[in-house]
Amino acid sequence: MVALGDCPNIHEGDEDLLESPRRRILEKCCDCPNFRRDLERFQSSGHPLGPVFSLIHDEYRRQKIHIQSLLSFLDSKSLEIRFFHELGSVLQSSVDLEEVLSVALTAITAGRGFGMNRAFLLMTDHKRDHLQGYLAIGPRNFEEAHQVWDEISHNDMDLQTLAQNFRKNKLSAERAKFHDILEQITVPLSNTTHILIKALDGKQPLLIEDAYHHPDVDPDFARLLGVDTFLLMPLVSRNRRVGMIIADNCITHRRITAEDMHSLETFTFPVAFAIERASLYERLQEELSRVTEAHTKLQEQQELIVRMEKMALVGRITSSIAHSIRNPLMVIGGFARSILKNTPDGDPKRNFIESIVGEARQLEGVLDEILNYSDSLYPTRDFWDANQLVETALRESAAALRTRGYESTFSAGSELPPAYIDFKQVSYCLRTILQCDLNGTGHPRAMDIDTHREADAVIIRIRDHGRYLPQEELDAIMMPFSSTQEMGAGLGLALCKTILEKQGIPLNAQSVPEDGIFFTIALPIRKEEQ
Amino acid sequence: MNRLLVVDDEANIRLLYAEELADEGYEVVTAAGTAEAVEKLQEGAFDLAVLDIKLKNESGIDLLQKLVKERHDMPVILCSAFSCYKDDFSAWLADGYVVKSGDLSELKQEIARVLAKKAQRQKAGL
Repeated sequence: MVALGDCPNIHEGDEDLLESPRRRILEKCCDCPNFRRDLERFQSSGHPLGPVFSLIHDEYRRQKIHIQSLLSFLDSKSLEIRFFHELGSVLQSSVDLEEVLSVALTAITAGRGFGMNRAFLLMTDHKRDHLQGYLAIGPRNFEEAHQVWDEISHNDMDLQTLAQNFRKNKLSAERAKFHDILEQITVPLSNTTHILIKALDGKQPLLIEDAYHHPDVDPDFARLLGVDTFLLMPLVSRNRRVGMIIADNCITHRRITAEDMHSLETFTFPVAFAIERASLYERLQEELSRVTEAHTKLQEQQELIVRMEKMALVGRITSSIAHSIRNPLMVIGGFARSILKNTPDGDPKRNFIESIVGEARQLEGVLDEILNYSDSLYPTRDFWDANQLVETALRESAAALRTRGYESTFSAGSELPPAYIDFKQVSYCLRTILQCDLNGTGHPRAMDIDTHREADAVIIRIRDHGRYLPQEELDAIMMPFSSTQEMGAGLGLALCKTILEKQGIPLNAQSVPEDGIFFTIALPIRKEEQ
Repeated sequence: MNRLLVVDDEANIRLLYAEELADEGYEVVTAAGTAEAVEKLQEGAFDLAVLDIKLKNESGIDLLQKLVKERHDMPVILCSAFSCYKDDFSAWLADGYVVKSGDLSELKQEIARVLAKKAQRQKAGL
């Protein structure tokens, strides 16, 4: 039995080794210089087993070191797999684009992740014709880098927490921090000579070294990034070019190894897929809310149409009955008056005829009341969306405008209150204005329409750059039923002015020398203004 | 003597108009529909036309548009059992609008007003 103090390698806390010779020999003696010396002595004693023991001892030590290095490799791989698992579970479960981007960029730059200093994310736009800067993460200088690393070392957070923290506290700041660089990175996907598009088309990560002198790298692009070594990682999902990550070690200048590249390559596919899925989800949500909004509007319009139809039907029936009664009543009353006119004052029949005239007049009064009521049932005015009004008129005028070589643009005002108008009549007027064929047609044939709110009205402005008339001529055309009035385009601009003014809607037409004719229509937004 | 063309699909109403307007000193010619009106217009000139809007299967508004285009020197007064057409902008091409009534005073006043306006225009050489 060995006691504590007998062996220089056994210290306090190693007491269990005193009772286990096997473990003591394997863990302590094999590495002990005394044991080594004893083995040498045994070998030099000439005993035939001396060299054998030495050989076994050397082989044991070599195998032990090998096993230890394998264990350390296994540990690092376990860590990597755990990291990928953590990353994968976040990426697979998220459909929020900002969350996916935060996780991806945090993973690239976090020490527990790939430990790069800086990462830029470029995305292909909706139409997929440009690759453009979208988001970046990392320090801009050494001081900032130290501050970030200190912060990370003090907070031992997992990847998801790190990413959540980044999204909550830093996303907008990082976007603003790199705004100057991000906005300058815009490359058309058709520019296949650009290194970014080359890497994207090649679908393989690309390590760029000595970027300032690299034959494939535009020097301006290298200067913009400010580093001579960077890694390009294309994000491709099912052959769709989603975007690109540019990563570098601009602060530490640590060498980017082939192993880094390999790990990042494994990482890019799930990231590309998650970004693509999140982008699609985002667009789907937008479409869904648009469709829901359209559906609600459609339902409202349908209800309104049903209401209008019901009321119009009541109006038509009342009107038709009244009409059937009015004609014979007119004949009765009319002839009674005629007879009365020719009947002398003393004629005894005069009282009877006066009774017929009086009763017929009274019945006409009743009819007037009924008809006035039925007229009021026609819901001619209601609250309508001015943008919808313009879009409808533009759609219906598109063919006529095209025929005359006109280009039109419409800039719809946002959050406009509904206008209280007779949709059918105002729509007719808009179409007439858009299509009216005035003399003096010039160039360019362009029409700009916009809507906006001004005080208690929604303004529709039509700027027709293709026509020009002196103000006097324009005023004459706008005069109701003037002799110069054009009859070609419906009933003309003058009639539009009358129709609109009857609804309390002013129509203003101004001739601007060299610039065309500007029409302004102010639609009321309140019932009281009618 | 002013010559008037009265277009209405109801025979009794045509008779009433003819009687009453003749009493006012007008020469009255009546027509039951669009074709007859066109025929009468070809036979001679008229100073004014009184036109109903509902003419059985025809529309008085269509006839009105035709008259405004082809006989723009002849004013037209619409005389209808419906008051709602007053707000129909296609009816605004007419020079006057009267709702039918057994009391023809309004129609007579409107005829006198439109004819006076026409005479004024002619005097001014327009």
